[in-house]
Amino acid sequence: MTSPSIDTDLESKVKDIVTDILEIEPEDMTLTSRFKEDHDADSLLAIEILASLEKTFKITIAQEQLVNMVNLQGVCEVVAEAAARRQ
Amino acid sequence: MTRTSGDRTAEASPVTGPFISTWSAVSAFGIGRESFSAGLRDRKPVVTALDPDQWSAPATEACLVPGGDPRELLGRKGTRSMDRATGLAVAAVGRLLDDGTGTRIPGVDESTALVLGTSNGSVRSIMSFTRDALTEDKPYHVDPARFPNTVMNCAAGQSAIRHGLRGPNVTIAGGRASALLALNHAQRLQRSGHARSVVCGAVEEFSAERAWLDWHAHTEQGRAPLTGEGSAVLLLESGAPRGGAALAELAAVEVGLPHAESEVTAVLADCVRRALARAGLDADSVWAVAPADLPGTLGTAERHALDEALGGRTPRGLLCTELLGDTGAVSAAFQITALLSAAESDPESAGRAGVVTTVDREGVVGCALLRFPGPEHGRR
Amino acid sequence: MSSPRRVVITGLGAVTSIGTGVAEFLGGLRAGRSGAKPVTSFDVTGFEHAQGCEIDDFDAASYVHNLPLREYGRASHFAAAAARMAVEDAGLPAHDLRQARSLVTVGTTDGESRDLDRLVQQEVAHGPERMDPVVARRVPAGRLSVAAARELGLVNVEAVTLPTACAAGNYAIGYGYDAVRTGEVEFALCGGADAVCLKTFAGFYRLGTIAPERCQPFDRHRKGILTGEGAGILLLESLESALARGATIHAEVLGYGLNCDADHPVAPNEDSFARCVRLAHDNAGIAADDVDLISAHGTGTKANDVSEARAIRQVFGDKTPRTVSIKSMIGHTMGAASAIAAIACTLAIREGFIPPTINHVETDPECDIDCVPNEAVDADLRVVQNNALAFGGNNAVLMLGRYDTGGPAGPAGGHR
Repeated sequence: MTSPSIDTDLESKVKDIVTDILEIEPEDMTLTSRFKEDHDADSLLAIEILASLEKTFKITIAQEQLVNMVNLQGVCEVVAEAAARRQ
Repeated sequence: MTRTSGDRTAEASPVTGPFISTWSAVSAFGIGRESFSAGLRDRKPVVTALDPDQWSAPATEACLVPGGDPRELLGRKGTRSMDRATGLAVAAVGRLLDDGTGTRIPGVDESTALVLGTSNGSVRSIMSFTRDALTEDKPYHVDPARFPNTVMNCAAGQSAIRHGLRGPNVTIAGGRASALLALNHAQRLQRSGHARSVVCGAVEEFSAERAWLDWHAHTEQGRAPLTGEGSAVLLLESGAPRGGAALAELAAVEVGLPHAESEVTAVLADCVRRALARAGLDADSVWAVAPADLPGTLGTAERHALDEALGGRTPRGLLCTELLGDTGAVSAAFQITALLSAAESDPESAGRAGVVTTVDREGVVGCALLRFPGPEHGRR
Repeated sequence: MSSPRRVVITGLGAVTSIGTGVAEFLGGLRAGRSGAKPVTSFDVTGFEHAQGCEIDDFDAASYVHNLPLREYGRASHFAAAAARMAVEDAGLPAHDLRQARSLVTVGTTDGESRDLDRLVQQEVAHGPERMDPVVARRVPAGRLSVAAARELGLVNVEAVTLPTACAAGNYAIGYGYDAVRTGEVEFALCGGADAVCLKTFAGFYRLGTIAPERCQPFDRHRKGILTGEGAGILLLESLESALARGATIHAEVLGYGLNCDADHPVAPNEDSFARCVRLAHDNAGIAADDVDLISAHGTGTKANDVSEARAIRQVFGDKTPRTVSIKSMIGHTMGAASAIAAIACTLAIREGFIPPTINHVETDPECDIDCVPNEAVDADLRVVQNNALAFGGNNAVLMLGRYDTGGPAGPAGGHR
């Protein structure tokens, strides 16, 4: 996937959402730490993250994108891409 | 599937049916069995002023469980999306299964069942979810984490998940009769070999949504009690005791469905008579009664039924509604724990029976008969 | 207590999107009819797709004679109608039913959530003080079983609603089986009922589990469930009672198993479900080899079908019986699902056929079962297994058998 520009503001908002849903401290998550393997996420939590991002950023994310949303980096790219598509 | 008589000959116990070995309650009196017993002894109604910022209910007061929010009850982990009903049930089951030192009580094994009564799960969870579907930008902008809360077996399922109960997991919806129907279900699971021990009880949550529904549905009933909530559970065992002393035998559960309110007295009186007959007891052996005690005509009909069935005798009366409010689906469970609690400190209960009766607005009436161990056997 | 009694099914009542009434439902099963069409029971604006299996021609008044219909919600109407049909199908005089001790047990996922949808609409539009009190009174889920019992004029009855989500129908039938078997009741009317509602559609849609067009259980390209509605009620009585009154015996209830994953609120656990299947076999006194057909939970979601198929293979090994999902035809009818499926199993046993899994193009190799694609087939069935899995990790498996007049059902010629 080509990476649209991801600003730190977006990254920090996304991180807040994800760490809140996964019930972990923000400092325990890096851009590349994996939700499932490193933070005990499951498929319901993954959909929760997707749903929360859609509402917060007023974007639409296809379910198929879940395969790319495995870490913070991947999520930010998906969000940036969806936001760009909306504009 | 009656047990062979050899099961407990060494004990010489009077208990022959399934028996209650322990119980717990999360109520407006506080968390746990001791708080419940103390509250019942002091007989001081517990009333909370409702914070209008938190609850936009058609009332200014209710009988709330202190610290009844799931996060306060259970801590932060895994409670982010948990609803109040689920939190109350998980807390009550947790208290029941813990011997007080963090160790699981005996009598609970891989096949232990959970049978939990509820009126309608969490109507707040269901209605908030639909509200989101109707008011958010998209109708599917609902919170997926809260979808399981909108299904009525959520409290039982979560209680099983958090406490590792892998036996039959049953939810019963029977309004005020829920706990009696749950007890009946529990003993049938035992009789048919699906479970040896059953965690059995009920849960009800307070919410503005529930209060509004009640307000609309029952305005004609006149002055209603405050809305109450909580969860009460007990361990029903069969066979030789493993979970501790037999506090009481579940001697009988009888339920019926009157056609009309005018028949409530006759049908309920018949239930009580059938229960006594099934247990081989007469009205003189009844030490105490714990009725549902609803205001209005249903409460009157219930009192008449007890008068009729007990031939005008007036055993000790244990009233919960005036202390804990209208606790809906958990009401009969609280009535049972009130009997168990009172029997612990009342020597008059020895060798005698306690009766729980209920009258649900939707139609079901019924009773449970508990028999307490005799003085000659002590409390094993 | 006297020795346990054998329990038989003598009455069936079905309200489904492929036919209301047992004859019509049977016709639908044989033909592989689809109940799928655009959802009309709520405003679907904003959803990208909204197919469902609704019942659009149900006229409660033509089945329900005694209940004040306005005071009960749609799921209660379904339950009462199906109960009435089951009693009529059994040829059991209402008077005889009323004289006996009975059990009415109705499983459900959503109770009257259709009415709760409506109350929330009123609240959003006009404020909570303007909700309709008549609709508010219809909400308590306990009313589903009360409606069925009241319709039949039952007083000496235990009326109980089991909201154990999508396994509720099997729970209810199992409960009825136990109560008749031990002699505590003479008759049990048991099954499940649910009505399509916005709440549940929105929830499954959000999870990404609603198929855009059709439900394709075990298909490689399956895309999810279609929400459906309806009711199924079975009349159970002892074999002795059925023989004494000369009733037609459709099938025998052999036993059932219940357990809980105690693992995840929505994701199935295949090991736990396999354990439930074994519990059911033990309770019924049969071996896995005896099973001739499995009526799968078979929702058509990615997760369910593969977990369920793996659990089936755990228990049956390479000799997996044919495994069909009638959800391909009637959608996911939630708490009614396993009750309606139990009726389908009963009809399959009685009529000697297997209803198909429709909409099937290519079996998912990960599922690897014979789902009897698209066309019903003739089959001699002695023992049939009816699967159900639910949110909360609630599993329930029901075992049904053919009743042969020559001797007891079951392959061992008398398993109890």
